[in-house]
Amino acid sequence: MLCGALVSLFACQQDPIPAKDADLNGTSVDISGIPAGISKVFTLNEGSMGSNNSTLDFLRIDDARYVTGAFKKMNPGVGAGLGDVGNDIVVIGNEVWMAINNSGLVEVISATDETEITAIKVPTPRNIAFDGKYAYVTSWAGAYANYGADYSITDYKNPKGQVYRINLKTKKVEDSIEVGYQPEGIACYKGKLYVANSGGIASSLPPDYSYDRTVSVIDTKGFKVSETIDVQVNLKGAFSDGKGNIYVTTFGNYMDIPSGVYMIDASGTVKHVADYVSVATVLGDTLYCIGTEQESDWSGAPKTWKAFTCKGGVKSALDISVEGNPYGICAMGGNAFLIGDAGDYFNPGTVSLYKNGRKAWTVDAGVIPGHFAIW
Amino acid sequence: MSVLRTIAALALFSVSWCLTAQETDTLSAAAVYGVKTRPVVRAAEEVYLPQQPVAPQQVAAVLQHFTGVQVKDYGGVGGLKTVNVRSLGSEHVGIFLDGIQIDNAQNMQVDLGRFSTDGIAQISLFNGQKSRRLQTAKEYASGAAVHLTTERPMRFFGSGGRFRLRGGSFGTVNPSLMWDKDLGRNLSLRTQAEFLTSNGKYKYPFFDTTLVRENGDIQSLRLEAQLFGNLRRGEWDIHAYAYGSERGFPGPVIRRAAGFPFSAERQADRNIFVQGGWRQDWTDRYSSSLKFKYSNDYTHYDTHPEKNPMAMPYDLHYRQDSGYLSLAQSYVLADPWSIDLSTDGQYNALDSDVGQFVTPRRATFTGALATRVAWYTFRAAAHIVYMGAWDYFDTPSAGGWSRENTYRDAWMPSLSVFWMPFQWLEIDAYAKRSYRLPSFNDLYYSQMGNSSLVPEQAEQLGLDIRFSERKPSNYHLDVRISPYFNRVSNKIVAIPTSSQFRWTMLNIGLVDVTGLDTRAEAGINRGDWFLEGTLRYSLQQALDHSDTDSRTYGNQIPYIPLHSGGIGLEARYGYWSLCWDTSISGGKWSRTANIDDYYIKPWSISDASVSRLCYLDNLNTMGMVPELTIALNLGNIFNTPYQIVQGYPMPGFNALLSIELNW
Repeated sequence: MLCGALVSLFACQQDPIPAKDADLNGTSVDISGIPAGISKVFTLNEGSMGSNNSTLDFLRIDDARYVTGAFKKMNPGVGAGLGDVGNDIVVIGNEVWMAINNSGLVEVISATDETEITAIKVPTPRNIAFDGKYAYVTSWAGAYANYGADYSITDYKNPKGQVYRINLKTKKVEDSIEVGYQPEGIACYKGKLYVANSGGIASSLPPDYSYDRTVSVIDTKGFKVSETIDVQVNLKGAFSDGKGNIYVTTFGNYMDIPSGVYMIDASGTVKHVADYVSVATVLGDTLYCIGTEQESDWSGAPKTWKAFTCKGGVKSALDISVEGNPYGICAMGGNAFLIGDAGDYFNPGTVSLYKNGRKAWTVDAGVIPGHFAIW
Repeated sequence: MSVLRTIAALALFSVSWCLTAQETDTLSAAAVYGVKTRPVVRAAEEVYLPQQPVAPQQVAAVLQHFTGVQVKDYGGVGGLKTVNVRSLGSEHVGIFLDGIQIDNAQNMQVDLGRFSTDGIAQISLFNGQKSRRLQTAKEYASGAAVHLTTERPMRFFGSGGRFRLRGGSFGTVNPSLMWDKDLGRNLSLRTQAEFLTSNGKYKYPFFDTTLVRENGDIQSLRLEAQLFGNLRRGEWDIHAYAYGSERGFPGPVIRRAAGFPFSAERQADRNIFVQGGWRQDWTDRYSSSLKFKYSNDYTHYDTHPEKNPMAMPYDLHYRQDSGYLSLAQSYVLADPWSIDLSTDGQYNALDSDVGQFVTPRRATFTGALATRVAWYTFRAAAHIVYMGAWDYFDTPSAGGWSRENTYRDAWMPSLSVFWMPFQWLEIDAYAKRSYRLPSFNDLYYSQMGNSSLVPEQAEQLGLDIRFSERKPSNYHLDVRISPYFNRVSNKIVAIPTSSQFRWTMLNIGLVDVTGLDTRAEAGINRGDWFLEGTLRYSLQQALDHSDTDSRTYGNQIPYIPLHSGGIGLEARYGYWSLCWDTSISGGKWSRTANIDDYYIKPWSISDASVSRLCYLDNLNTMGMVPELTIALNLGNIFNTPYQIVQGYPMPGFNALLSIELNW
């Protein structure tokens, strides 16, 4: 998922660079309706845990091609491929950063030709945000508190997570800080990081068997947690609207508390914006969401999905007729969206372009196409 | 190991093991009624272990040479090994020890890697319906069945025993001791102890490097005692079993940052059971068999996050208790016509410290009514089974959502026919519908289960055609051709709901399996020489027919090769024996999407063994001559890298030396 308002600052709109990946043919698609200024849209397919089948696809605008399995094709020397469970992808300048959760790596590649720049060791990385100097990566962090410094073990039977700070130039982990239980989404706005803590694992562990409900606010200057804001149980995503508001999504507790969207405004006040959200992304000042009221229906019957936007803390309906099992969304502007359908979550899924609310085309992707980034 | 390698190189011409079909269709002169002694159907595959020159250490290794059986092996001595018969799914395959099911209500998977061949006389596979007198109702109720029969003491006076020491690759040391004692004319005792230790380390290729499998070590101890008693017109036995192990799970091989291990997961477990039976012929017509079992299983699973920063911090304990009682009755109405009624009751409980755990309990009743006619050349049996399971909870509202007690039931009819038009031709046919209950994990696993599941259904149609030509002292030729059709519907499949953390189980799968199992075996005897060759071939088209709109509709299901088979050769000369076996598994996919990314290439693996039997004449006591057998087993002779389950590399070349003393 795109993270942070700084995307627009870094999304360099330069002339296309001749790339080796031009040899990757992929599938021809119709790119009409996709706004100008976009060179590529990357799709990170999660794969299944333990199957080492996370893959990278991209939609190349200049010759209108959707290419699958690009990382392996452009990096034959990385024999094991992209790795196990790709959980987040962001574009930072001309680099693509990916959190490969169960490989313990943040993979950095060139946006022009998908060749590896480096892979940075971070235990169970989840999501990435960045500012002008650093990338910040949330981590469930296993047992190790202060992993970067001294490997000291804290409460390893129910450990809190960490945020790792990685220098964008040197690509080295410089620091880490403890946040809440199983931190997920992270957003960066004006010197502050907002970390959504889930407690997804803590909820099944003694002594409390409870979800985390907090957002940890980190001051990037001192790299200290300056504030902990109570929001709702089992938080998932954190997004900045670039205007001082932070949107936070929750999965709910799968019982009486539904999934939803909350907004933390500049004063730190929490406001409930919407219920029922499964996937969300931010573009500019608007949060784009897809959810279903049948999220607690386990019958396997097809669900009715509703898309909506949140802007300035106000929910509005969005006319997109989504079917299947939407798992990731990319808002490209101009009412054009890419939506990843996870299908049966076991076999390769699909990516579709939606223009003006209608599906324009569908292509085969990898297993669980869940995360997108625009370059 | 270099010594063993040298021996291996010298013994490269050696040969394997072959499954000598055991003739069970005996016509006892004492039998009053033919229907009592004639089984309606034969086992599809059967091996009598005491006849094997070199029996493999694990039951799973025997089963992988049965046609139609897929052993899912995660690799290594301690790795999980489950069996799937004709694509039914391992949950449909009942594993029975002396007619009593070894079950696991938690996940319905029985790890056959835990069962040693020590003390097992016979391993049989039944497709369709096993149909014998005085079966338990559960024996009628599983889709396919693997029966393990314990070896009875063959000693009529005094005491005797067997000591066996196996050792070799992966730091394996495996001593076992069996001791029999005659306790009077109608009572005998058998005791057994077996210890196994292995470091589980082996090299495997990982893209352009070679890695060593770590954290795959195991230590296990098995203790058993059995009492066998004979009655005037019956028999009884009681069997106490205790198994404990501590092992590591090496985890899937994936891309992982240097310095982070693949896994630090450990599991300690303990299985204890006491089971027994009492069979009595009350009159010439009426017989009964009473069986019981109590089992208590404990598992401690720990991911050891302090040793692995990538681990999710789980430290969980499970305890399963199960009580079982079965009464089977058989009555000969008019020879060769009989009727059987079997009634089983079982109670299962699962306790755990998993968060929000509902502590499920299940009471199951299974009743089976069967009738048979058995002339010598034509036999038929019809069976109807009713199974009902009442699920309830000790903590139904754990985690805040309440579960309702549920009763699930199913009727399972089946029909078996046997016809022998000529002495050299036998034809078996069967039709069967069976169900497997959802496991506790399917139903109630925290954040995953779905309590509205219905039992998964398996329908089977099959034919066995057997040709045989034999002159016992000279040669034999046996050919079996078995076409079949299976349909598994309401298959339980895990699917995430609206979030990736929230999975559920649904009855949405439908698989159609069309297959053919064939097996040909030819042997000749010439003086001191005995030579035998076996060819196995299975064709298995297992297609996903779950959803016509799905892009994978009509594709081959994961891990089932279209073609598989093998060749076995055995040569015996005097006290020497040489065996060779090559198993071939055709191309398959690890996903229903039959695309290149998920294609698993065909592989063939060759094993060999050589053994020598010696009679220790100078230790002759009271006419009993102790026997010493020395055997060398060589696995994966050509050091072929392969994986049965993707991400779990199998060992390369390995050797196991075995010394066995019988006295």
